[in-house]
Amino acid sequence: MFWLIRLKKYLADKIKKGVAVNQHNEKTMVIRKMLFVTKFEELGFGALQSLLPLRKSALEHVIFMNVIERDRVAMQRGVGYKKSEERKLREQANIRFIDWAENLFEQGMEVGVYIVVGNLVPQVIDAAEKENADLVVIGRRSRKMMEVFYSGADITELLSRIERPVLVYKNRVDSGSVSEKPFDKPLLAVDWSPASMRAVEYLKNFKDVIRKINVVHVASRKELKGTSNLDIQQLRKEKREKLDKICEVFAANGIEARSHVYVGDTIEEIERAAGERKSTLIVMGSSGKSVWAERWIGSTPRYIAEKSPFPALIIPHGGEN
Amino acid sequence: MGKRVLVVDDDPDVRLFSQTVLEENGYLPVLATNGEEGEEAVKKEKPDLIILDVLMPRESGIRLYRRLKTNKKFKDIPIIMLSGIAEKSFLRSQKVLTEFGGDPVPEPEAYLEKPVDGDVLADTIKKVLG
Repeated sequence: MFWLIRLKKYLADKIKKGVAVNQHNEKTMVIRKMLFVTKFEELGFGALQSLLPLRKSALEHVIFMNVIERDRVAMQRGVGYKKSEERKLREQANIRFIDWAENLFEQGMEVGVYIVVGNLVPQVIDAAEKENADLVVIGRRSRKMMEVFYSGADITELLSRIERPVLVYKNRVDSGSVSEKPFDKPLLAVDWSPASMRAVEYLKNFKDVIRKINVVHVASRKELKGTSNLDIQQLRKEKREKLDKICEVFAANGIEARSHVYVGDTIEEIERAAGERKSTLIVMGSSGKSVWAERWIGSTPRYIAEKSPFPALIIPHGGEN
Repeated sequence: MGKRVLVVDDDPDVRLFSQTVLEENGYLPVLATNGEEGEEAVKKEKPDLIILDVLMPRESGIRLYRRLKTNKKFKDIPIIMLSGIAEKSFLRSQKVLTEFGGDPVPEPEAYLEKPVDGDVLADTIKKVLG
């Protein structure tokens, strides 16, 4: 607990000073390298193109990744290991990646590719580490579609194990199409945890990509229990003032930001806020709970990443847990 | 002693194919699986020819090509590009990188689009190495 308080103070001081910290000991947290994990059906070229405005920030290198699940090629009685199936799947992925890569190469970008057989989460973590990726993009189809390509368990496991920002990309529920500019109008949900503060550090470098950011805190009903109207107003004022300080950080970095305080169930209110503000993306710090704890206790970032119709950018906890 | 040819490709099938073609034609193959390894091998092995893929993990052949062709020590090593990426995309990317402020680079000695016949590869190597 002592160290948690110290860490919170340390990160808050860093924000005040306008100095960014990240796990790679760089001066600023920027997206230079993006690992784009796809099974094609849920994340296509449209999704990739919608992320290319990140080039205005720092993006210069995209790594495509396709993980062929083991059970598609695994040993079967009488058949053995399906080597020809693996070849076919690899070649299909390769053909698509070549087409995408030509497009990016022609724009002067650097492109890499991984087509591997194995379990999704360890393979993604391994590639992200090898490549030192600044952002991992993974797809999830909208809830209205029957097929779910990455199960909730995969997303939970990935978010719990990876120490890098993860963008869970979603096609729009209404049309199945992609958001044209996911970073255009994000909603940042904060609870002043170290992970939230890291999200602030991360986003403040995106002035060329973000048009406006809404910074939201959801006060729980517990906090209001047994208090008078005056107390409630005081609580709102205090939270608002704290949010305004975060908005000042964004403003100092050339990003228009507005603060909002909501009261009620955290998940419901974050989604409500995102809808009301016509947000293109929900950004949150991840709790850093273990997979076991996430399954039993639940977590807001996990829910938003898995179930919310909004794309979700989850910033890792940075080891405070 | 045969000439040393460095093959930089992440696909093990292509490495094996190229290795076989090279050995059958009396060359000494040296193999690397990505751009970073490839650069190390260029420094260490000083090859007479490089067969270079474009789309690879860690570093693409486009960046490695640029670095080699703008390096006094290595710019004269002939390079055969062997890739699924179309030649026009490769040339366009080099042009764009030059426009972004990079040094101009010459076109590769040969460009072969995958898949390629063993005979075509062998003939191209022979032609490039004179």
